[in-house]
Amino acid sequence: MHRVLLPFEFAEPATVGEVVELVDGQKARVLAGGVDLVLKMRLREILPEKVVSLQKVPGLDYVQEDDAGLRFGALASLRQIELSQAVRTGWPLLAEALGSIVSVQTKVMGTTVGNLCVGTPASDVAPALYALGARVKITGVDAVREIPIEEFFVDVGKTAVGPHEIVTEIFIPRPVAGSSGAYVKLSKTKEDIAKVNAAVLLTIADGACTDAKIALGSVAPTPIRAMEAEQLLRVRGMSAGAIAEAAEAAAEAATPISDVRSTAAYRREMVRVLVRDALDKAVSRARAGGGRS
Amino acid sequence: MTKEIATFIVNGGEYEVIVEPHMLLIDVLRDKLGLTGTKYACGAGDCGACTVLIDGKPSFSCLTLAVTAVGKSITTIEGLADGAELHPIQQAFVDKGAIQCGFCTPGMILSTKALLDENPAPTRDEIKSALAGNLCRCTGYVKIIDAVEVAAETMRNGGQGS
Repeated sequence: MHRVLLPFEFAEPATVGEVVELVDGQKARVLAGGVDLVLKMRLREILPEKVVSLQKVPGLDYVQEDDAGLRFGALASLRQIELSQAVRTGWPLLAEALGSIVSVQTKVMGTTVGNLCVGTPASDVAPALYALGARVKITGVDAVREIPIEEFFVDVGKTAVGPHEIVTEIFIPRPVAGSSGAYVKLSKTKEDIAKVNAAVLLTIADGACTDAKIALGSVAPTPIRAMEAEQLLRVRGMSAGAIAEAAEAAAEAATPISDVRSTAAYRREMVRVLVRDALDKAVSRARAGGGRS
Repeated sequence: MTKEIATFIVNGGEYEVIVEPHMLLIDVLRDKLGLTGTKYACGAGDCGACTVLIDGKPSFSCLTLAVTAVGKSITTIEGLADGAELHPIQQAFVDKGAIQCGFCTPGMILSTKALLDENPAPTRDEIKSALAGNLCRCTGYVKIIDAVEVAAETMRNGGQGS
């Protein structure tokens, strides 16, 4: 860790158009909250010639819902989204995932879009967004495109954002009636990043499981969906036996590594435990009528 | 922009500083303005010792580019006491023995101030959540949480500390 940053040029344009002209993802980097970028500049893992701040671009810090779903902009902070009444009521799974990031300062400074753009498979937000079917709006010099969150994560530290592009908005559809979700995380301390995390979203109609989404973090180069486990729940329902089998299938879907936080074998075993716990939680929330999603 | 004379608003006062883009807010506060109450420790956003309030919100001054704080209202620990009279939060930390080595204290107190400005009557769980980004290696936190409860009560009663 270095005490000082190496010099760079600084720009703070007032429009997204100017920002995407200037950034190139390599020598010219975009600054939103700075929690990750400034840290990596201190570590000298990233040494930009130019830092382009988004902070002076007006109108990017919104969190709003409409009939279709929830939208938030590139400058909406983690804390702003966590505390949003719309999110707490309509997308409690997202609020629960954000709540697992405990440092208030990190959540005040850090943006949710920035959290995703780091491209880390340990993102706490990503599994919830995978389960909720979020879409990512990417703005370039001449065009705007929108892709599913699952196409956004490409590899460790690598996203689908091109050199002259930035993420401007996340859209999350409104969960269907009868949806119930849960987010669980295992970490060394509350403040540390996840060893393993998991988000599940069940859709329950007339006591039967009509849809299931299971997303895992920190156990592959990107967040992943456990599709076989999802299919198993759709076919076999939500009995304790089916949940145990789905948890096992999710563990099979993981391709974890060993690192300073855990061994691969432990991570895989914990996927099984966390998915089981998350499914149990989602089912009991559905039965309690809370309808958390 | 490479170098400019910028005006920082710190504890209600305006200060002109020659600032370069790579300067961090903590260095402007400590080295340019002599406000050494703000502590540098982990440099990574883990410990919260460098916490200051920017427009009322607790922020890591060690991960904030100084240029992005220009024109915003910055509160450091030096801005809390009124002359020789401690702020009720500071007084409560002293009275409850919430300070041992003192290194985390400025950050703890500013996170507490942000909490109590928003929520004058927090529960113990709400206090713990509000201070989750501030590490203390001495106290075991119990006395800090006690002190925040006392400060909240003093401030609710309009007191200036005891």
